[in-house]
Amino acid sequence: MFDIASILFAGATGLLVIGIGGMVLSEHLYRMLLALAIAEAGANLMLVLAGFKWSASAPIITVSVESIPAMVDPVPQAMVLTAIVIGVGVQALALTMIIRIRNAYGTLNMREVKLKMEQEFADMADLPIETRSVPARNDQS
Amino acid sequence: MHQFSSFLFLGGFLFFLSVLTGILPLGDPPMIIGQAIQNHGVSETGAANLVTAVVLGYRGIDTLGELSILFAAATAGGLVLATGKKKTQASADEDAGFIVKTAAELLFPLLVVAGLYIVIHGHLTPGGGFQGGVILAAAFFLPLLAKPSTTMNHNTMSLVEGFSGAAFIGIGLIGLFNHGAFLQPLLSKGVVGELFSAGTLPLLYLAVGLKVGAELAGLLANLNEEDDENV
Amino acid sequence: MKELIVLTFAVPLLMAFLLPTISRVSFTLSKLIAPLVLLALAIMVVCIWNFHTETFVLHIGNFIGPQGIVFYVDRLALLFAFAIFAMTLLMWPWYFEKDESSDTRTRKLSLTLLLVAASAGMSLSGDIFNLYVFYELLAVASYGLIAAGNKKPAGNSYAAAFRYLMISALGSVFALLGIALIYFQTGTLNLAHLSEMKELLNNPAGLIAFVFILLGFGVKAELFPVNSWVPEAYMASSKRVAGLLAGLVSKLAVLVIIKALVLIYPQDEARQLLLFLGIAGVIVGEFSAMKAQDMTRMLSWSSIAQLGLVFIAFSIPGKAGMLAGLAVALHHLISKPAMFLIAERWGGSLQNLKGRAQSSPIMAALLILFALSMVGIPPLPGFWVKFLLLSGLSAQQAWLAIAVVLIMTVVETNYLYRVISSLYSRDEQQSVTSRHRTADTFSALILAGVLIFVSVQVQTVGQALDEIAQDAVDVKSYIDLSLGGGS
Repeated sequence: MFDIASILFAGATGLLVIGIGGMVLSEHLYRMLLALAIAEAGANLMLVLAGFKWSASAPIITVSVESIPAMVDPVPQAMVLTAIVIGVGVQALALTMIIRIRNAYGTLNMREVKLKMEQEFADMADLPIETRSVPARNDQS
Repeated sequence: MHQFSSFLFLGGFLFFLSVLTGILPLGDPPMIIGQAIQNHGVSETGAANLVTAVVLGYRGIDTLGELSILFAAATAGGLVLATGKKKTQASADEDAGFIVKTAAELLFPLLVVAGLYIVIHGHLTPGGGFQGGVILAAAFFLPLLAKPSTTMNHNTMSLVEGFSGAAFIGIGLIGLFNHGAFLQPLLSKGVVGELFSAGTLPLLYLAVGLKVGAELAGLLANLNEEDDENV
Repeated sequence: MKELIVLTFAVPLLMAFLLPTISRVSFTLSKLIAPLVLLALAIMVVCIWNFHTETFVLHIGNFIGPQGIVFYVDRLALLFAFAIFAMTLLMWPWYFEKDESSDTRTRKLSLTLLLVAASAGMSLSGDIFNLYVFYELLAVASYGLIAAGNKKPAGNSYAAAFRYLMISALGSVFALLGIALIYFQTGTLNLAHLSEMKELLNNPAGLIAFVFILLGFGVKAELFPVNSWVPEAYMASSKRVAGLLAGLVSKLAVLVIIKALVLIYPQDEARQLLLFLGIAGVIVGEFSAMKAQDMTRMLSWSSIAQLGLVFIAFSIPGKAGMLAGLAVALHHLISKPAMFLIAERWGGSLQNLKGRAQSSPIMAALLILFALSMVGIPPLPGFWVKFLLLSGLSAQQAWLAIAVVLIMTVVETNYLYRVISSLYSRDEQQSVTSRHRTADTFSALILAGVLIFVSVQVQTVGQALDEIAQDAVDVKSYIDLSLGGGS
């Protein structure tokens, strides 16, 4: 029952739930980014699992072309390679934006950032901002 | 309210995924295209590493897309960071100590060699352009960590970036105009397992390695040159 | 000749890679060369359209069979490929701010070219993971363009871009997960091959995969639960970028969802879900647009509502749904970018728009034209679009959807009328005259010309669209061509 694939599947599920949970529940921009990295790791692990085969070797021919042993599926591994690189690019870009948001607004709290953004939009359009009482939480730096 | 709905969503998500354990063929995948690639991959591409055969042969266009994503991220990152104050000589952090500086100098050639080795042997062993490219980027970024006041030459970087990307597309276009299909593997496939085999695949990986290295090094350097005084 | 279609994404990518180097030599050269290349590619697509009336497939790298990536080029793909080049040329960032460095300008041009390349790839590709890669490229390029801001980057553009990035990245995780679940069960990624094996996906796990893919690709398509980024991003970015994202990029994401729906998920459950999300999108979009206090926000919400209509239309099974969906999507593709161009100078509060019709009568007249078409006044294409949609729905006896579409048309009329009446109302203290830029007026005029051409030639265009829809729902020929090998 508890074969390695099930354990890995549970791990991927856990990473996904932790990551997505962190993204929707966290209020701190940098933590959201870290949670995104975790969720991406979970999705990547899930993708690798899609080609995982018990007791098969890596898809590299080492001995001879004629006698190919049982190998895992190479396609998901190639896809994960692609997905990881995409993830790195997106995270680096998000990091640059975090730096700039911090420079512009002096805070990384999502609510405060959103409030200040709405304020700027309202200023641009000469509108009074809808003053909703948003309690600013100061538990995060 | 927001928290409650988030938890509800997460619970449902967890439930969905745990239900799937029973449905999905864990550890025993159907491997339809995987099997086809294992059977024909070597004869069609000449690469001993089948992942490379997929990355550069069967799904070469994904790799091109991925390179473009890195380029887009670096370009957008440059756009975002361009407006800020750059580090000046005065505001830069102090140099790291003797040990770090010496180690960085010692490591630089080793990292370059290791990176290039991994790039060039991508079609034979685990590794390839991305992995090697990251090591190359580390090699060029390391001196910046040891001596924050030095800056990277962005002109050279963008030249390497541009031309390695263009080389990838260029090899693809040669395939298109000479043989009728974009990114068609060219040149003789050679003997499987030797360094000079697999036709154009090692050349493509070299382009990937240079591009990834230049891209990541440029991104890191850009982040590093940010003036962190007002942060 | 036909294999040259791969140039539609290869050449813009090549240009984007080389642009930084070119602009170091001469910025003027790089500013000129990029639109010229796009123009050449647009002409090439028209030639291929004329010379190859039959659908054809291209095997990238000559790897025939499902293990390679296949480009499936039918009329629909060619139509979108042409729309990409034409629309990007119309919405090209011609204007730069004075204090921008040439590096920043080059980066903007590069990102636009990457957006074009990704869009072209998305319209052609017949492989689900390849579609995901192009979708991500599209996403990253659009993050950069939004972060570049309206006039100059500011806190709001970074914040809007970041929030957009987070939602989009979450969507990408879902899309990747959906692809993983599909691969788990079928072991293939090729859409035609998946379509052959769609019975394997007719189970809970397969449907969960569809939901994940819908959520993932739905982010760009402004699908109901994942569209909170839309008003912020369009407020913060330049209106040309907003028009491009609302008009073009959203349609390409819709195209991916439709490919999955037609080829892999013909089940009723999938269509019901799409119908439900579409209705929710229309209701939320139209009511929020009515509440909006400024024109950009109003247009953003109305764009969400229009895409809801697109999803409702595509939820009708068979050719009728494809035809109605294509009509709604193409109508929105033409009218929304034009409306954003018109809004370029009228960004402020709706109260400030009083009497603006006097200072720019052309734009006000164009706005009336597009608004009338959006509402669906008879000679204009918008009427035929709504007619196709409603007749398709009534054939399905989807009375709820019909009621929603009709009621929301009233809401739409209400807020569009409010804008137009305030444009034409008399206002004494009219002093600020912010004229529209020539290129904006020019592009809007061209789009209006297309709209009028369609309403004059509605017979011909309808027939052509009918043929395209017929081809697009022909699953059997898709499978035969993609897997048949003959290239």
